[in-house]
Amino acid sequence: MHVTDMSSRARSAVALQAPEQSRPTSVGDECGQRHLALAHEPATELRRVSKVFEGTVALEDVSLALYAGEVLGLVGENGAGKSTCVKILGGVYRPDAGHVWIAGEEIQLRSPLDAHERGIAVVHQHPSLFADLSIAENVFAGQLLRGRSGLLDHRRMWREASRWLAMLGLRADPGLLAGSLRTSEQQLVEIARALAAEAKVVILDEPTAALSIGEVERLFAVIGELRMHGVAMMFVGHRLEEIARVCDRVAVLRDGVLVATRDMRDISQHEIVRMMVGRPLTELYPKSDAPIGDVILEVTGLAREGEFQDVSLSVRSGEIVGMAGLVGSGRTELARVLFGITKPSSGRIALNGEPVRFGSAADALAHGIAYLSEDRRGQGVVEEFSVLENATLPVIERARRFGLVFRRAQIAMVARPLEQMRLRFRSYDQPVTTLSGGNQQKVVIAKWLATNPRVLILDEPTQGIDVQTKAEVHRIISGLAAQGLAILLISSDLPELLGMCDRILVMRKGSLAAEFDRGQADQFEIGIAATGAIAENGKPRRAVREQPRTAFADELLPRSRASRGLDIAVWLNRLASRREAGLFAALLAVVIPISALNASFLHTSNLEAVSTYAALIGIVALGELVVMLTRNIDISVASVIGLTAYIAASTIKSNPQLPLIVPVLVACGIGLACGLVNGVIVGYGGVPSIVVTLGTLAIYRGVDSIVSNGKQVAVADVPNSWLDLTVGSVIGVPRLVWLAFALFAAVGCLLRWTSRGREIYAVGSNPAGARLIGVPLGRRVLMAFALCGLLAGFDGALWASHYGTVDGQLAYGLELTVVASVVVGGVALRGGRGSVAGVALGTFILLAIQNALTLARVDPEYLQAFFGAAILAAVVLDVIVTHRVQRVRTAPV
Amino acid sequence: MTGLLRSWIARWETVLLLLLLALVLVGWASAPGFTSEFNVSTSLSEMAEKSLMALPLALIIVAREIDISIASIAGLSGVVVGMVLRGGGGLWIAIAVALLVGAACGAFNGFCVTALRLPSLIVTLGTLALFRGLCYVLIGGTPISTIPDSLIGFGNDTLFGTFIPQDFVPFLILAPLFGVLLHRKATGRRIYAMGANPETAKYSGVRSDQIRFWLFVVSGVVSAIAGVILIGRTSQASPDGALGFELDALTVVFLGGVSMFGGRGRITGVFLAVLLVAALRSYLLLRGASGYTQGTAVGVLLIASLLMTNVVRRTSQALAARRFRTARKDIAGGPMPASPR
Repeated sequence: MHVTDMSSRARSAVALQAPEQSRPTSVGDECGQRHLALAHEPATELRRVSKVFEGTVALEDVSLALYAGEVLGLVGENGAGKSTCVKILGGVYRPDAGHVWIAGEEIQLRSPLDAHERGIAVVHQHPSLFADLSIAENVFAGQLLRGRSGLLDHRRMWREASRWLAMLGLRADPGLLAGSLRTSEQQLVEIARALAAEAKVVILDEPTAALSIGEVERLFAVIGELRMHGVAMMFVGHRLEEIARVCDRVAVLRDGVLVATRDMRDISQHEIVRMMVGRPLTELYPKSDAPIGDVILEVTGLAREGEFQDVSLSVRSGEIVGMAGLVGSGRTELARVLFGITKPSSGRIALNGEPVRFGSAADALAHGIAYLSEDRRGQGVVEEFSVLENATLPVIERARRFGLVFRRAQIAMVARPLEQMRLRFRSYDQPVTTLSGGNQQKVVIAKWLATNPRVLILDEPTQGIDVQTKAEVHRIISGLAAQGLAILLISSDLPELLGMCDRILVMRKGSLAAEFDRGQADQFEIGIAATGAIAENGKPRRAVREQPRTAFADELLPRSRASRGLDIAVWLNRLASRREAGLFAALLAVVIPISALNASFLHTSNLEAVSTYAALIGIVALGELVVMLTRNIDISVASVIGLTAYIAASTIKSNPQLPLIVPVLVACGIGLACGLVNGVIVGYGGVPSIVVTLGTLAIYRGVDSIVSNGKQVAVADVPNSWLDLTVGSVIGVPRLVWLAFALFAAVGCLLRWTSRGREIYAVGSNPAGARLIGVPLGRRVLMAFALCGLLAGFDGALWASHYGTVDGQLAYGLELTVVASVVVGGVALRGGRGSVAGVALGTFILLAIQNALTLARVDPEYLQAFFGAAILAAVVLDVIVTHRVQRVRTAPV
Repeated sequence: MTGLLRSWIARWETVLLLLLLALVLVGWASAPGFTSEFNVSTSLSEMAEKSLMALPLALIIVAREIDISIASIAGLSGVVVGMVLRGGGGLWIAIAVALLVGAACGAFNGFCVTALRLPSLIVTLGTLALFRGLCYVLIGGTPISTIPDSLIGFGNDTLFGTFIPQDFVPFLILAPLFGVLLHRKATGRRIYAMGANPETAKYSGVRSDQIRFWLFVVSGVVSAIAGVILIGRTSQASPDGALGFELDALTVVFLGGVSMFGGRGRITGVFLAVLLVAALRSYLLLRGASGYTQGTAVGVLLIASLLMTNVVRRTSQALAARRFRTARKDIAGGPMPASPR
């Protein structure tokens, strides 16, 4: 069953592409395969593994085995230890006791990269790709393919990636940036990466949480194919219906202990729940019998362009109205409009009969609407705050006396809601991160209760929460309805909706598709309304899985920009490269009018002077580019230039008999040292680069002033050969410009065709992800700063040679010009984006304008204002351009 | 009680206090005149502008933004004061105009950051250059020296015969005000939230854009005040006035314990850091170091302070982890106490 070489796997993948291929639709059909698999030894195992964190036992004596061609489900409440198991198998953690075994051998996994190299791949709920690298580079992240020359072979990666993507049903041009994909597509890229690495084990960590029903179907089909290829899989999840469908065996964890491992055929979902919780759960969804009053929230014809249209609904006091629908159907978008985060394009919202318009969440809160976001970590809690601070944040001004906030007043506000939540905590000042996920959710709910809302919108309130807390939250919601709140409950958990709600609305593709009263609906009817699947013979379909895969996928999956056919891909590609083209156009737009206005601009001597200066600035800008790609900045470059220029000049002055290469090397050496200092402190010391280089700017300048001691090196003090080093032209182009070209080409190749260069982009694009694939972050940052320092040092020597006279003030303030050049050249300060060509063009544009101003007799002291304005203008332009190219950003890790 | 004491010892402010005492001791021992009244008041007077600028800067950094144009705003406001005075206007008119200019500069920064959504680092890097350039555009290269005596007196005299210089008084007044704002007012809590988790702050009804905008405006106004003080102290309005002051201001803020990543920091720390930097510069000056060398020392102090906080944080985390690993007891999520403290 083991497939050992890529080509045969690819062949069988191609063979399986045909949609007519019948696929096993139930687990039972594969029993033959499964029995075969069980006869082998496990692909990987945890044997008697324990793990302790800061006093909490995360895992105790847990043993799990994953067999080839089989899916093991891993279930348990929050905090049961599921993610710890995943992290141990994935090489993130090392077990405190017990061992990881791979293919019959006891292995010590040192890092996620180590696990990856040994054939274990993890697919995350929130894929962490490199948005600024291509899909192909993401598929081969950590193992970029090389050609014969040792340089990266992008074409081969494109070809291979296409094959894997096709097998997984993802139609996208692998040359596109990964940032343009949806979450579900990014997950497929992670799977493709696992396949490209010939992973024997694939661990899926709660993969379906952020997927729509159609995307889940596609994922399950892929799991089926992986199974057929003999991949051992572990499926970690909360939704028992999914576990029951796709897993062969299930392992139940409770409080860090393995309760049982059973064959899926031998166990029911209720029994699984009992094992997870430890007691029979009889009443999972309490019925609410709240008296229903007047309409509190009324929405008429509400629409927001591109997200939803013509939504009309009403929620009464005491009512719980559910909202079902696939991800992307517009429910959260609707909630955001109701809460004032975004504005509708048309329609009306009325509270207690009065029309309202919200400019912000603060407005909505003031009117009594509260919104519990589905993203607790990102939008629900402030992790640095205590329980008390989190709970009082929206209404902090109500805890004031004489204008000042007092602790007792804060506690008075939230004591009751926290009590209502039955929150278990030690003290109000406890950091909220010390609570479990479920308890943190309770704090967030308490926070909203403290605002005394009239309308409470809950968006997936029990997602990712253990069963026990889930029941408590449901009880709380029912209680709130009984108190007269109007509640809108957005949920993907159909049993939850069916149990809790008085009415259920279904949204589909941005419109209201159906409405059900309690008792009228069941899961399948809601599913049909949500997906719009039309019955063939008029009868409602029993199970969506009976649909043939590709037709289903086509209907359900809104195609992302990336997969909407080759023409879009080509267009996007062109857009990406348009930046350089745009810069070139800008250059022409600048040069042509200037030369028209002032013919002396085009004089050979002037052009030589401009291009020479541009070369000198450009060499440093090149180094700055590499630093900024890693999400850092280096404003000490000018001080380095000043320092190295003086030292180079004084070296040749005191020792005129030395070969000219010596002062150049000395300057390079000092520049390298300066860069290394920066790099070590930023890369390994964890200090932000703006601060470090602000400090070293002063330090290096100080050293320069000490060394120069008020003196200067004059033109007469140095040998002519030194001055001639940077003079002269080859076929009309000054030597310095050729030198700059050569350096630009070299660095450009480094960035594009070496793995170190791509890693630099990776570091800036997704530092956490880069670490996970084994990129040595500290070393790459150090490398970037070292290169920048080296180039600055080299430039200092050139500067000293070119201008002859050097004093301790040289290049003072030049960092501004350098940063301006880089920013104008399109390098994003947030890292991961920028190119050598862009920097070259940006430098030249900037200096051409500067030259024009000089020719126009503008005071050179005004130039600083000009550079400042240039930076601002470039950044504003960049923002405008990137708004047009809408990117789906990768979710944070 | 011991818990309180332990938390007090572990505080960054305590470290700063100890460093300050150590430096004062070293200075008293090895630099003649270090502890004289004259030296203390001169050193404080030298830090007057930088310490003022550090106050709104601290709030801005807690909010996860940054403003490195403060020195240029101070310089520009000073230039404007000089121009008004040269044109025959009264001192208070000149000061009022300067404050307006500072507010306008701050509003420009704030607008770019909030309305245009540009990163504050790059915006203020640009305005640092732009505002400084405007200084030269407005008055060229030569400073204006027609400064009224009252302002010069303010910049150089001490308060009622004590050692406290008059130009340091604005800082002494504003520091507690900013402290109260940050720690005791609702806005301060919101600033912490914005810095710690901007999304959550937005979803919790914090009007982040408004707060950010006004923070930049306040920074501009306070920088303008600093610019006025500088004119008094140096008796001239120069286009390169306050050049490079942002280095000291940032050093004071970070040394004071404000985290670069937002969401953490206290004004008391900033206050102590001001005293520490003043003492350091004074000590170096008395030992014969030039301005550039002092700048080098401040740069080293800046980096060292940040490195140290990182190292301390990492080692304390590692120690705590090791301590608990041996204990192997479940301490998280224990039973609720009878009455939560």
